Amino acid sequence: MNLLKNKAVQYTILAFVVALIPLLLDINRSTLTLWNMVIIYAIIAIGFNILLGYAGQISLGHAAFMGLGAYIAANLTGNLELPFLLSLVLSGLIPMVIGLILGLVALRLEGHYLAIATLGFGVAIQQVFKEWTAFTNGFSGVRADNPVIFGLEISEREHYFILGMIILLLLVLFAHYLLKSKTGRALLAMRDSEHAAQAMGVSLFKYKLIAFAASAFYAGIAGGLFMHLIRFTEPNAWGITLSLNLLAMVVIGGLATIGGSIIGAGFIVMVPEFIKDIEFLASIKSFATIFTGFAMIFVIMFFPHGIARIGTQIKIALLNRRNSRVDKGKGGAPNGRSKG
Amino acid sequence: MVAFLQNIIAGLETGSLYALAALGLVLIFRTSGVINFAQGEMAMFSSFIALTLFQHNMPYPVAFIGAILFAVALGYIVERVFIRPASKANLVSKMIITLGLIMIFSGLATAIFGTDSYFFRKAITADNLNAGGVIIQPNALFIIAITLLIMGILFYIIKKTMVGIAIRATAQNEKTAKLMGISVSKIYSMSWIIATVLGAIAGVLIAPTTNISTAMMMDVHLKSFIAAVLGGFGSFIGPVFGGFSIGVFDNLVGYYISLKWKTVIVYGLLILILIFKPTGLFGKSYRKKV
Repeated sequence: MNLLKNKAVQYTILAFVVALIPLLLDINRSTLTLWNMVIIYAIIAIGFNILLGYAGQISLGHAAFMGLGAYIAANLTGNLELPFLLSLVLSGLIPMVIGLILGLVALRLEGHYLAIATLGFGVAIQQVFKEWTAFTNGFSGVRADNPVIFGLEISEREHYFILGMIILLLLVLFAHYLLKSKTGRALLAMRDSEHAAQAMGVSLFKYKLIAFAASAFYAGIAGGLFMHLIRFTEPNAWGITLSLNLLAMVVIGGLATIGGSIIGAGFIVMVPEFIKDIEFLASIKSFATIFTGFAMIFVIMFFPHGIARIGTQIKIALLNRRNSRVDKGKGGAPNGRSKG
Repeated sequence: MVAFLQNIIAGLETGSLYALAALGLVLIFRTSGVINFAQGEMAMFSSFIALTLFQHNMPYPVAFIGAILFAVALGYIVERVFIRPASKANLVSKMIITLGLIMIFSGLATAIFGTDSYFFRKAITADNLNAGGVIIQPNALFIIAITLLIMGILFYIIKKTMVGIAIRATAQNEKTAKLMGISVSKIYSMSWIIATVLGAIAGVLIAPTTNISTAMMMDVHLKSFIAAVLGGFGSFIGPVFGGFSIGVFDNLVGYYISLKWKTVIVYGLLILILIFKPTGLFGKSYRKKV
């Protein structure tokens, strides 16, 4: 039974069970596309959460990394005819190198300035997507084929879902062990106080670069998977809207939790779908955006730990209330500390 | 030479609008410590109000004033409803709130006004002036003049009046300002109102160039960030200087280097400034205490 208490084992079992659902049930193709999108957003959200939730560094330009991953995947499998898995790894590694550069910028900036710099970075890269037509084909967009793994072509959404789930699982486990290690503790220390962390011997240089590199890698992988799922992309997809949605995923789902990132990704993908079914709300254009904006503000104001930890937060609040009532009943001070 | 002067004038015209918007950003940042990422979307909303009034056969000045009145209400409401309850939250949370506001306002604008792009008239529609081959639009002169006038009034208020002293005191140290009997919450409201109005004016004046649409303020808003960063968030004169210089620089790069890569070059410049002089040209560096 101890094995089941291990988080890594729990993640693995859950992933396998969920991956098999589409094979057992008869779910239509468009719904499965959404499920696949949840996986892809979950991957980028986990990476972004390492950056924002754990390391405390904000970025408003991470859509650029995902776009970069998508374009790299399309070019490598299309023009250079590299195998799918190799190109997927490269579509993570190349954005990672650029993420390192952004990490160097972040070393000199904090808070607002970092947000502004990354915002500018995102806009500049999106502009590169628009103008560098040899690489991106401009507004006409690029196409990609179905992924082929060891001679097997993946054309069904069910199979793509399994592929995505395996990659998500690998990345979840990597994040889990990374964050449980010394690195994770160093990132948290850096988030809570850079000066205190430095005083404890945490190298800001090393850990800021790690945080940016990891998040860019995850974003690139998500982009590569997106490219082979949707099989078309153009520059407008990789703008500030996506960066904001990414922020919303992580904030609503829960900062500094892996599960929260996945919940947040589900939220962003599924909310527009639920709204479609409610006639009154569907008649309001872009209601999903308005709702997401309100949800993000609401969560950050009242549940700063996100949906993933709402249960715990309510439990703590109830416990505190009960304790204070008990203390009042005794007519004494809370915890009996005042007399000492 | 003529082309150069032509670019300078065009740069000063847009630059003055960047300066107005940047001044709004800095005003809010200095008093309440928040960077209002939603300023561009709020200005876009106000511009739509001007457009709606104008479409209902109101004269141009009425539409302009209507947009300003709307901005006053909008600034007040946003500060009261979204910013003040979170005054004790940390910096990242406050930033996230204004980023959420972007989603709310752009979503609301799409819902109410649609995704189309509308033409909006210029403030002054007289014939162009010709000064030795350089063509000067009266509207450009009007824009530069009106922004200089607004900035002049604003600087007078900040430097010479009691309200201005209260704003500067709050910017310097909130607690001491409170002890001196300044109603800090009023100052917050006021700076949000002034900043939203500045944004709205920039929006209505830029509308003839960009047309009115939900995406109209994207560029102006980002350039106003660069202006604020270039001049430094620490002073009120910095962003004005930054706004004019970024306007001129933008035009010159577009004309002499590359129109296609203009945006990339300008944002590259932004990142370089941030790396080498994060406090801006006019900002004082300060040491962060633990």
